[in-house]
Amino acid sequence: MQLVQLAFRNLFRNTRRTVLTVLLISFSLTALIITDAMMRGMTDLIVKSITETLLGEAQIHKQGFRDNFDIDLFIEDTAEIEDSLSNDPTVLAYASRTISGAMISSSYNVTGGMVYGIDADAEADLSRIKIAVETGSYLSGKPNEILIGKTMGDLLEIKLGDRIVVTLTEANTGEMTQALFRVSGLLHFGITEIDKNIAFINIDEARKLIRLGAHGAHEIAIRFRNPEDAKNTALAVFTNHNTETLESLSWLQLNKEVSSIIEMSSYGTLIIGLILFLLASLGVINSMFMSIYERIYEFGVLKAIGTRPLDLGLLIIIESLLIALISCAVGIILALLISEYTSTVGIPLGEMEFSGLAMSDRILTQFHISQITELPIYVILLTVMSGLYPAWFASKIIPTEALQRSL
Amino acid sequence: MTIVIETKDLCRYFGDSEETMVKAADHVNIEIEKGEFTAIIGPSGSGKTTVLHLMGGLDNPTSGEVELSGKNIAKMSGGELCDLRRDHIGFIFQSYNLIPVLSAEENIEYIMLLQGVKTSERKKRVKEMLALVGLSGLENRRPGKLSGGQQQRVAIARAMASRPDIILADEPTANLDSKTGIALLDVMKELNEAHDMTFVFSTHDEKIMSRASRLIHMRDGKVELDERK
Ligand SMILES: Nc1ncnc2c1ncn2[C@@H]1O[C@H](COP(=O)(O)OP(=O)(O)OP(=O)(O)O)[C@@H](O)[C@H]1O
Ligand SMILES: [Mg+2]
Repeated sequence: MQLVQLAFRNLFRNTRRTVLTVLLISFSLTALIITDAMMRGMTDLIVKSITETLLGEAQIHKQGFRDNFDIDLFIEDTAEIEDSLSNDPTVLAYASRTISGAMISSSYNVTGGMVYGIDADAEADLSRIKIAVETGSYLSGKPNEILIGKTMGDLLEIKLGDRIVVTLTEANTGEMTQALFRVSGLLHFGITEIDKNIAFINIDEARKLIRLGAHGAHEIAIRFRNPEDAKNTALAVFTNHNTETLESLSWLQLNKEVSSIIEMSSYGTLIIGLILFLLASLGVINSMFMSIYERIYEFGVLKAIGTRPLDLGLLIIIESLLIALISCAVGIILALLISEYTSTVGIPLGEMEFSGLAMSDRILTQFHISQITELPIYVILLTVMSGLYPAWFASKIIPTEALQRSL
Repeated sequence: MTIVIETKDLCRYFGDSEETMVKAADHVNIEIEKGEFTAIIGPSGSGKTTVLHLMGGLDNPTSGEVELSGKNIAKMSGGELCDLRRDHIGFIFQSYNLIPVLSAEENIEYIMLLQGVKTSERKKRVKEMLALVGLSGLENRRPGKLSGGQQQRVAIARAMASRPDIILADEPTANLDSKTGIALLDVMKELNEAHDMTFVFSTHDEKIMSRASRLIHMRDGKVELDERK
């Protein structure tokens, strides 16, 4: 009993100090939880931004295609693969694409870029192309439709309905081929690289132009029912389509840059956590010492009448443990209240482009169970550790010296 | 006749160098017999507190011996002394003897808890002790709500309840007015006579020392006079 009860009552000897210490620790925990929730929200935003824009969560290519987008390295028979994907319960959507380097010219200007042949219906479930249409309309399958990025449009000095000429290379033969398109939509992704360099046409037209045959494509983009599946390399999507000629990779493998940024962002939480708790620990040590100094005479008496040094140290540790427990309760409640707001309304960011990724204007913080289990445990451990030095000090008090102190 | 505490050439020096050294206890030889009611008196700085602390195993002597019930405690380790104080010595200090966040009853129970006394026995002794020191009915009050004299009575009850061999009290009445001080001493005297508890206490107060059955006069760390009435 005793020690716990005594420790508990001791907390209320100087209620103001205890409250301040509790606030210090609980605010630190709250800040840590919100930081973690923000990091999760941000990671989610980055992941969504990258996978939902164009990439998808996995892609299948011919081996070697990614090295320099060699137009000859295309998948000859997508029908078979599409068939297996449509029967795969983990797959939500998929779309075949042709990809080729092109010269795009208007009557005023000319620019280089990539022309994607896309399946309009399939892409609607997979990428943001349809949503990115700012003016005009999305592809409908009619002849000569082309969607181009707004930036490219500005460069070519064209507007909706204007005619542009696209010059492409035929697969296998290397012959040049040209076709006339009418701008049916202008796209705004918010990602400079895409807005400036990519144009989209109907895949059937693309296949004819560059002679891929009725079922040829350079890329099949895939979206999973559960986005987390992208990490699961044992999935049929990956194992079935990684062959001598084909490769099937998750977005994490396709975009190493971003996956390492995400990895690093977890260190960010760690560093912020460490700084916060270094400060909080100093606060705890300080307040524990203040409370010990006030009680030196009392501790002298307690030792004189037979209290063991260990028990006295334990008393201080229990006091810090109780402070930690109360602080965690307060911190968690506070964090839940705050994230109630930040997870629905969000934290405003302003429009920004981050490492080539468009970010929406706000971060919605994300709750995770570890925020109220793991993080508080660290807080409790750290607080109790901060109590160790004061506890050691208390256990070392020499009664004859303590008793000499006049109050 | 049983000897509870015996000091043999007990010395306690403070300071390192010859000139600054203070001989707080200087070859002190005292025998305390069971049932005695002894006062240590002397001017300020004469070594009363030092001798009481040495007798109670609170401090280690520079040289000499302290025997408690025949056991030499002068060479005991900190841990052994701690248990010795808990089980064999009762301490009462000038003031602030009690834990402020515990009630009178809980304060009296404290040492018994350290000793591992069973709950029923503890409760019984608390009741008994409160009655002995005249505080029945105040068991739930915290020290802040007790007068100085009442607090000292609780301290006496706490010491008595642990069933020590001897109670050492360093100026227990110094912070009390003289009427309250004398009343406190009467309580001690009563416990001494009715329960054969051995007391050694220090004091400056003439009225208080007149109640003792034995007076040990100290000066400059030495016993100047040891008179039994
Ligand atoms: N820790 C210490 N360090 C140095 N000197 C000390 C220490 N403790 C006691 N002394 C000295 O030893 C001498 C005896 O002190 P002690 O406290 O035993 O006297 P006392 O008789 O109890 O005095 P008082 O009536 O004022 O309580 C004094 O001169 C004191 O200054
Ligand atoms: Mg003294």
